[in-house]
Amino acid sequence: MSFELLQPDSLPGALKALAQHGDEAKVLAGGTAIVLMLQQKLIAPTVLVSVGRIPDLAYIRSEPDGIHVGPLTTLRDMERSLVIQTHFPLLAQASGEVGNIRVRNQATLGGNLAEADYASDPPTALLALGTQVTATSLRGERTIPLEDFLIGFYTTDLEPDELITDVFIPASAPGSRTTYLKYRSRSSEDRPCACVAAIAAFEAETCTDLRVAVGAASEVPQRLPAVENLARGQALTDELIGEIAAGYADNIDTLEDIRGSAWYRTQMIRIHVVRALEELRNGRR
Amino acid sequence: MSDRTLTLQVNGRPYTLEVPSGQTLLETLRESLELVGVRDSCGIGMCGTCTVLVDGRAISSCLTLTAQVENKHITTIEGLSQDGQLHPVQQAYIDHGAFQCAYCTPGFILSTVALLGENANPDDAAIREYLAGNLCRCGSYVNILNAVRACRTIDD
Repeated sequence: MSFELLQPDSLPGALKALAQHGDEAKVLAGGTAIVLMLQQKLIAPTVLVSVGRIPDLAYIRSEPDGIHVGPLTTLRDMERSLVIQTHFPLLAQASGEVGNIRVRNQATLGGNLAEADYASDPPTALLALGTQVTATSLRGERTIPLEDFLIGFYTTDLEPDELITDVFIPASAPGSRTTYLKYRSRSSEDRPCACVAAIAAFEAETCTDLRVAVGAASEVPQRLPAVENLARGQALTDELIGEIAAGYADNIDTLEDIRGSAWYRTQMIRIHVVRALEELRNGRR
Repeated sequence: MSDRTLTLQVNGRPYTLEVPSGQTLLETLRESLELVGVRDSCGIGMCGTCTVLVDGRAISSCLTLTAQVENKHITTIEGLSQDGQLHPVQQAYIDHGAFQCAYCTPGFILSTVALLGENANPDDAAIREYLAGNLCRCGSYVNILNAVRACRTIDD
């Protein structure tokens, strides 16, 4: 492991380092992904920019229209946050599903998103929630919807000189029901083979809004708005739930890895979308 | 690879060391400080044998660069006993025979200390969830659970 380790103690210092070293540099936050990749020689950066000394990037800030979460907030702090547990239970749940306590004590939200590992829990929940990522460089700041931020296998829209500086999660409609289902095909501590995050709002029996994100089964987690819209203004009957599940199963280009074949994942998407929507219809919050 | 001089606070004592940039905390603790209660096993944060506490929180020292924890308080199994007296969690593990080969034991004990720091009275589900990331390949889980139960403020 031959690299230069930079540990800037300010955001401008980090942005300057990234602007200077660009493609040659990797950002180190918690380390659970980067140190693992370094150890396994999957990456060989010449410069590692550690962001751990930058102050004020770990926060969970509640606002009337949603919450801002700082990129250095650990997954464990998200899982344990009363604000997140109360207002975004599926995010608390998905954060709490990652790895083990030690990993969650180290891994950060910004690191989790920037790594863009397809087999990770939080991005799917965050996608369903309509998350916006703010990226900053010396050139300025821009806000990117998560669906445009995650662009492929371990690939994001971040430019080499950009750092995630804020993550905004808009509030869901009052009374929304949410769920996060993680399907594991191997051991209990494994990453998901497929996962489903779903949010629905209802007026009496009628579904007024539905958002479903399916992750870990393809290169990036996916929402299918055309399929989601089938639910709008309708009661979630078994038939309609089956139709929506088929929409997701049939339209996601599933991948194959040690956790399951592409065919198997398609079946697991169908089953778990059904289970998620039944849970929402039947009223679990 | 560039070496850097840094100061670590380990088990309440400061150590100033030359550390290569890419060195993990696991390597530094074992090789430079000879704290071999920190064990090297899976190398991917899954097994828990390299668990240490950083400012009271359990982390995997195999996934941490030493430079990341400069000036933070690091606790290893060697730092738990005070004045020749075992920490109550260590004593409970002995009293309940909560190990066989004991390779995993330092990690389990440190995770238990972190758990009790967050929640002095965890129920069985909380104990199981918290310790799920520590593996014991001898399968001493039942005795480990009994040892942790005995450490609760309210023991049943």
